[in-house]
Amino acid sequence: MIESAFLAGLIKVLFVGIIITAAYLITARNLMSLVSVYSLQSFTLVIIALLLYLIEGSPVLLAIAAITFASKVLIIPYFIATIQEKIRIKRDIQFHFLSPTSSLLLSMGLMLLVYIALSQVMEGIAERENLFFFGSVLGISLMLMGMMVTFSRKRALTKVLGFLSMENGVLLFGLFVTELPFIIEFLIVIDLIILVLLTTILTVGLDSTLEDYHKRLHRFHLWEDTEEVA
Amino acid sequence: MIILLFFVVAALTLAGVLISRNQRQMNTVCIAQSVAFAFLALFILFTGQVPSPVLRIGSPYFFIDHLGLFEVLISTVIFTFAALYARGYVEGLLASGELEKGGLRLFYIAWAALLTAIVFAFFSDNLALFWIFAELTTVISALLVAILAARENIDAAIKYIFIASTSMLFSFIGFIFLFETARTVTGTGTLNWTELITAAHAFPPVMATAAFVLVFIGFAAKSGIFPFHTWLPEAHAKAPSAVSAVLSGVLLNVGIYGIIRTYAIVHQTGSGQTASFILAVFGVLTIGIAAFSMIPERNLKKLIAFSSVENMGILLVGLAVATPVALFFVLFHIMAHSLTKASLFFSAGILHRQYKSPLSSEAVDDIRDVFTFQPIAAWGVIIGGLAITGMPPFPVFISKFFLMLQVGTVSPLVLAVVLVLLFIATVAIGFFVIITFSKRSDPVRDTKLVPYKTPASMQVPVMVLLVILLITGIIFTHGEVSFITSIITELKFA
Repeated sequence: MIESAFLAGLIKVLFVGIIITAAYLITARNLMSLVSVYSLQSFTLVIIALLLYLIEGSPVLLAIAAITFASKVLIIPYFIATIQEKIRIKRDIQFHFLSPTSSLLLSMGLMLLVYIALSQVMEGIAERENLFFFGSVLGISLMLMGMMVTFSRKRALTKVLGFLSMENGVLLFGLFVTELPFIIEFLIVIDLIILVLLTTILTVGLDSTLEDYHKRLHRFHLWEDTEEVA
Repeated sequence: MIILLFFVVAALTLAGVLISRNQRQMNTVCIAQSVAFAFLALFILFTGQVPSPVLRIGSPYFFIDHLGLFEVLISTVIFTFAALYARGYVEGLLASGELEKGGLRLFYIAWAALLTAIVFAFFSDNLALFWIFAELTTVISALLVAILAARENIDAAIKYIFIASTSMLFSFIGFIFLFETARTVTGTGTLNWTELITAAHAFPPVMATAAFVLVFIGFAAKSGIFPFHTWLPEAHAKAPSAVSAVLSGVLLNVGIYGIIRTYAIVHQTGSGQTASFILAVFGVLTIGIAAFSMIPERNLKKLIAFSSVENMGILLVGLAVATPVALFFVLFHIMAHSLTKASLFFSAGILHRQYKSPLSSEAVDDIRDVFTFQPIAAWGVIIGGLAITGMPPFPVFISKFFLMLQVGTVSPLVLAVVLVLLFIATVAIGFFVIITFSKRSDPVRDTKLVPYKTPASMQVPVMVLLVILLITGIIFTHGEVSFITSIITELKFA
């Protein structure tokens, strides 16, 4: 049996890894590597869930790890990568409002702010365990950083990645509240998969011209003209 | 077991749409679904006690109380009329090629799924489950906005999804906060609203406030509250008018419903004052932004959409007062606004079919000779405009009047500011109607208009809704009063 203090330390190291991936999502310009980094970030979450399972032993965590692995490490990144190849957009070099450097500085400030705010709000609860506290600080920070990606990027596909990273933040936060019924966690994942599929399909339309869009929808068999209408 | 019945009706509807061969059949199936849901809701209301015991419902995740039934009844009424309206409207879209034949089935599947998701959202006891259904309504309604596959529609839909969904993630964090708070108080964490409301008085105020703020962010975005309202005018204006009526009359209620439920919990804790303050500030700001955006607006559907934003602001201000009387009229206003707004979007849709520019879909409708071409729609906009601005004898008058009286008892200053803003919004609608409806065609310069033959299925909903509005504005039955009063008791505001 591995000591739980050691595992907790390991989880904190992974927290740092998550921050690094989030920072990369804010600054990177190459779309392919953005997808890989998102996949890596989700994988880190899977490992955190497994380590937490070793500490707390609740089977819900195992199930969450499995679902996250299947949906966010494999299916969604694969889907987005396929779409990217089809629409032939390699790079997203335009930024709204914020340059990458100022977003990074801003996200550092936000993290500090979240830390201060949460340490005040959670005064009564913080003694429970400080992993929950750190998890929630990081979860909310990750959400805010993802939100910055969503609002500062120009390409809709990158916006989707920002949204997904926000959602990873929620998951990170949720991992530490293991009593949530599993069925709820499962439904949330289903819901998000639908959301991602829809936005990505619509995004194909936004990132290309309209005539191309119709052709592409035909190619993906998403749109068929075979119905008869009386 | 009742929930299962709703599920069966939804499944039957889906099967019906899938085997239908043409637009009319699909449409009939959708009308039947909303009527069936309405009758089920009435059946629950008149037989057996409400809130229903878990055994009768058949699942601990769901519950049925008066507020849920109230919202479901409003939604099904609007959906019934909107589906009837869609019968003629979608026919027109198909004829003009705006909606491709392949998209037709998708349209009706999404339509049926949207009503189902909304009804289940209102019957969810578990707040996380409610969140999931609310998220689903965003996704499905965005699909309905984008169904015309024109670039600006996709644009509006994407904006809608991004703003609503990113904000809704904050709501989820808020619910997890509530869960943690419940655990520190009762020992076992729960997200069931019925358990939360009974344990709420012991919640630590700071945690409750933090949870409320986070939840508020998400549902404010869903109901178009400033500063998250930017998606609303575009999505409502670009959507097919039958969908606009549903977006404005039903989907905004989902957001407000989420706020009311959470506010009821926070109201029990020591931090009700802070929550009220937040609601009041955002409410007044929302009314203000909407009123000033309405003045220069020349697009009728956008004008009506901004009026929805304004009314959501009024609801927040009313909620902030938090007295039983104020809450009574907040609920009454939800109903009055939904019915009026649906009727207005129906009329605006007819005018849009008649006057839309053949050259560009971005251009503002060139409305002229309106009483010659579309007299019913024109009178629909005029009477609907009078109704939404709160003229007697329409129901919005009653709710606005008593809400303002209630606001006046708390702060005369806020009352004065809100009254001025409401006046500006009223003037904006009146100004628009006078300017555009008095325009005549110039026989030399203007191209000749081809009259749009409005199908009866598009005109009937406008007229029937206006009649219903008149009746609800004049006659106040005892049953209506006791129904709304029991909602207030269940929310523990009494």
